[in-house]
Amino acid sequence: MVASDLLTQSVVNGLLLGGIYALAALGLSLVFGIMDIVNLAHGHMLMVGAYVAILVFTATGITPLVGMLLAMALMFGLGVLLQKVLLKHVVDEGLEQPIIVLFGLALVLQNLGRVILGGDARTADIGIPGNGFDIGIAFMSFPRTVTFVVAVLLIVATWAFLQYTKTGQAIRATAQNRTAAKYMGIDTDQIYVITLGIGTALAGAAGALLSMLFPIDPYVGWSYLLKTFAVVVLGGVGSVVGTLVGGLILGVSENLGALYLGGGYRNVVSLLIFLGVLLVKPEGLFGSSGGGE
Amino acid sequence: MARDDTFPRRTYLKGAGASGTVALTGLAGCTLGGGGDGDGGDGDGGGDTGTGGSTDTGEDTTPLTIAGTVPETGSFSSLGQDLKRGYELGVERMNETLDREVELILRDDESDAQTLREQLQAIVSNNDVNMIWGSFSSLLVTAGSAFAENQGLPFLGIAFAYEEPHRNSNYEWTFAPFPKSRDVARSTLGTIELVPEENRPTNIGIWEPNSGWGKEQADYWEETLGDAGYEIVMRETFEIGASDFSTLISQAQSANVEVLLSNPTPGGGITAVNQMKSNNWAPKMLKFVRGADPSAWWSALGQDGAYALMCPGWVPGLTGNGNQQLRETYMSTYDTESQYMPANVGGSYNLTQVAEQAVVAAGSVEPEAIREALRNEEFQTVIGTFSFEDNGLPSEGELTAPTGQWWEGAQRLAFPNTDSERALDFKYPIPPWSER
Repeated sequence: MVASDLLTQSVVNGLLLGGIYALAALGLSLVFGIMDIVNLAHGHMLMVGAYVAILVFTATGITPLVGMLLAMALMFGLGVLLQKVLLKHVVDEGLEQPIIVLFGLALVLQNLGRVILGGDARTADIGIPGNGFDIGIAFMSFPRTVTFVVAVLLIVATWAFLQYTKTGQAIRATAQNRTAAKYMGIDTDQIYVITLGIGTALAGAAGALLSMLFPIDPYVGWSYLLKTFAVVVLGGVGSVVGTLVGGLILGVSENLGALYLGGGYRNVVSLLIFLGVLLVKPEGLFGSSGGGE
Repeated sequence: MARDDTFPRRTYLKGAGASGTVALTGLAGCTLGGGGDGDGGDGDGGGDTGTGGSTDTGEDTTPLTIAGTVPETGSFSSLGQDLKRGYELGVERMNETLDREVELILRDDESDAQTLREQLQAIVSNNDVNMIWGSFSSLLVTAGSAFAENQGLPFLGIAFAYEEPHRNSNYEWTFAPFPKSRDVARSTLGTIELVPEENRPTNIGIWEPNSGWGKEQADYWEETLGDAGYEIVMRETFEIGASDFSTLISQAQSANVEVLLSNPTPGGGITAVNQMKSNNWAPKMLKFVRGADPSAWWSALGQDGAYALMCPGWVPGLTGNGNQQLRETYMSTYDTESQYMPANVGGSYNLTQVAEQAVVAAGSVEPEAIREALRNEEFQTVIGTFSFEDNGLPSEGELTAPTGQWWEGAQRLAFPNTDSERALDFKYPIPPWSER
């Protein structure tokens, strides 16, 4: 029998972690929902963002929260470049070709990371003063709380951008029907460039936040790709709210799986939930309210 | 079994040549461990003698060629340099004391078992190798051992506490001059009992990596400490490579764990301590076997890494059996400001002492002769005095696993007690984070 305080603590830890999972998955969800591309390099883009934050922190001592901004800018540039140079040639060629290109990119990023930075895992400290605090029902770890708040703020900012800006509305229009959007005068090619830029920037931000909690090595990309993919399927492709909920579910289910069944089942439980959602509601929990043609 | 399927070519050629004299004495075919196991008829038995360890081949000055790998890159890279330095110092000593040239061909295994096998294959294919030295961790050492068993070459491996392969893999060429899981558990008990009885902790928590060695070590801890009257209040598994220890930390806190024991990877151990700090929980005593071994522990954690205990096989503070020579040579060879050597230098240096004494006893570099010497001799090294069982385990009860403790940036001997100034009085308890 698990004590109730232990259960509460595990749920809180899961929620805090789930916020970052949601941010990490948001970029994948946007690109999938709007461009119909499964970005297999998304986890590796996250890894690059994490390394940017770690290197800035290691070299200057500046908190990875600042490094995160640099990582977002760099990753936005990478996304733009990727769309303009590579993906625009294959984006309308069905699912397979972009997948192959992005799989290749993932391998390139992984090996570049290994060659340039070595295979050792690295991590960064949060770099700002502060202590965890007790909220009565659970203890709030300081780094986890800060990263959770930043992740949720970024998710809300992305949602607001999509809801209330002209570009955001154009992105949503393109997601609903690219051809109609074109007829309405929207430069859908440019929308794709912006979308991939935002998607990779969000991956970079999530990587920077994760670098404050967990070690990062050049091989982490695949495991985070799996987690983010599970979140996207759980929440529904293209749905910001769904992605947030999916991330929280994944974080909590991982922790509860570890608590009740042991650490070896940490991922098993969350992936079983993922499979269950696929079976019962394949469009995801919030799929109907999201984008996707 | 590999030996039945693959006849060791080198063994046959060498056995038929240099060891032929031994075979002709009528001792051929007398295998240790009972013989008559069906192996005696193959070429392996030709040079296999029950007492072959002391066979004298006269003025044999055949060079000794050793193949080896260390993890210079990859997840164990933080230990590669230390292992390499111990090997280098040892080979230097062997070249001074042995009447034969000693060459160590050392490659980077990238902390990867497949790469390790490829590297060893490349070395053995291009050189007349007489012996193989291992890497780091049960994962890599068992990979090297499997290769050596297949090749019929003596294999020495440290940082390899896992016992089960010795008992169940029919090792014939593998020897581990290193404290094993049972020794680690005894050493843990000894360390706890350094604490005055009135302050001694009672609640033991075990974080068990989901691996064969993880289970074996957890079983030994549970049995040894349970039998001694300690209460195992927590035993939970976690996945090797896991990076989120928050649930385990909450469980340990809830179970009122005072002594936390585990054998995580170095990266996992560092991450776990970081998360203990951010969750504002610490046990009174923390022992991370292998996890707290590398120098990277302190460079990553700094003062947060203090108090942690480890069992790396050798720790500054041990005395006798060449420890002083090792220290002097290390300090004069490597430009270092620290007065404490990294633990794994001593561990790998100890391996070279075993190799040297085996070759001296064998009077030859022939694999069979060296193996017999390894089986029959008693070895005096910087980690202690011990012999081997036939399956390559250090003989039961002969080795005390030294337990070190991180203190002011150095690993120093906490158990057993010695009169060395590099040993320390066991620091207990670990204070709460707010007081550190």
